[in-house]
Amino acid sequence: MNDIAFLGDPAVKAQALARLRSHIAAGTFMIFPAWQDGLANVIGALVEADDKQAFAEQYGYPIALATALEMIVNAFKTLPAAQEFVEALLERTPVGADLSGVVSQALVFLLERPEIVALVAPHAQVEQCRQAVLGLHQRVIAGEEPDRKEWKSIRLASVAASDMIVDDASAHMASLIIESAAWPASMRSVLHDTLGACGRLESQQLMDAIGWTEADESRVFKIRDKAEGDGRMAELEGLDRVLALLDHDDPALARGFRERLDQFKKMGEVYRTVGWKIVDFIEQAPDPAGM
Amino acid sequence: MRNATEQDFDDIVMKNNKPVLVDFWAPWCAPCKALAPTLDELAEEYAEEMEIVKVDIEAHPALAARFGVRGIPLLMVVRDGEEQARTVGTISRSRLDAFVEANVGTE
Repeated sequence: MNDIAFLGDPAVKAQALARLRSHIAAGTFMIFPAWQDGLANVIGALVEADDKQAFAEQYGYPIALATALEMIVNAFKTLPAAQEFVEALLERTPVGADLSGVVSQALVFLLERPEIVALVAPHAQVEQCRQAVLGLHQRVIAGEEPDRKEWKSIRLASVAASDMIVDDASAHMASLIIESAAWPASMRSVLHDTLGACGRLESQQLMDAIGWTEADESRVFKIRDKAEGDGRMAELEGLDRVLALLDHDDPALARGFRERLDQFKKMGEVYRTVGWKIVDFIEQAPDPAGM
Repeated sequence: MRNATEQDFDDIVMKNNKPVLVDFWAPWCAPCKALAPTLDELAEEYAEEMEIVKVDIEAHPALAARFGVRGIPLLMVVRDGEEQARTVGTISRSRLDAFVEANVGTE
């Protein structure tokens, strides 16, 4: 039974919720590791192993969603927020719902985001590919199965179109999102890879907003690396040491680095947003058995 | 997917009738580990057109030296006993597919 939520069995849903809640109550629900010494993340809690394939097979979630789930949950950053999301995902998944369209729905949502549309609009060939990839996923949602050649043809065209953008970093990163999404939802890493590409764009945009560059990143690395060699400020550890070194060597760079750290704390918005959208899609998924 | 050693590499890869995608990897390499499920899928998808062969460079350093492997994961296409192309480092699934398509071809 492929992509039928909880294999159509209420007892499977009850087991999933019981396992999750037992870990939450015991304080053993974690963001990392997946499954180790009784500690468990979303995958480990439900299948008692670091095994996404087993998660998909035992609970009826699409393999591409199972593969991307850790990435989505980790974006909630704090345990209470992650627990709330995972519990909502399980609670709001109707037993017996057909989840086979959910991954394509999530990919359509990502490809239709206004910022992606705006970034690729000036690049006609990339925009054509975006429309074509959207079209294939929309056919999947409608119940069709576009064949392998159709996916491959659009995928190769998307890669070629991405390579044509050489003078616009953000548009190029947006085009990488489109080529990542040019796979059928049965391909296990399609959602993971597309979200990863979205995350890289988000990171780039945050850095652009504060004027932080790769050269700045490199200067921080070199100052830290030099201190590792000469033992300067070895009485401090980790980030405290890096910040103290920067304050001493280059106060302007230190200010920029603090801002960069603040910006990074905000990252993950696209993952969290798509996570909640997926919960909505799942809740509204068709129920073939009319349960 | 087969594993090649210094002893059988030439038989498995260089004398193979099909194009071969050689994956140079090591047990400590996290990006190599991340690539493994993708290669599993690729092996299935391109089963008729090519073979994928893995080389653990920790266990077989002479093969790494022979092919000048300086970074992993390194994917190398061998066709008719000769290296045709290589790509080093993390590569997206779509880019990997385009790499295989360009150097192996399926259509």
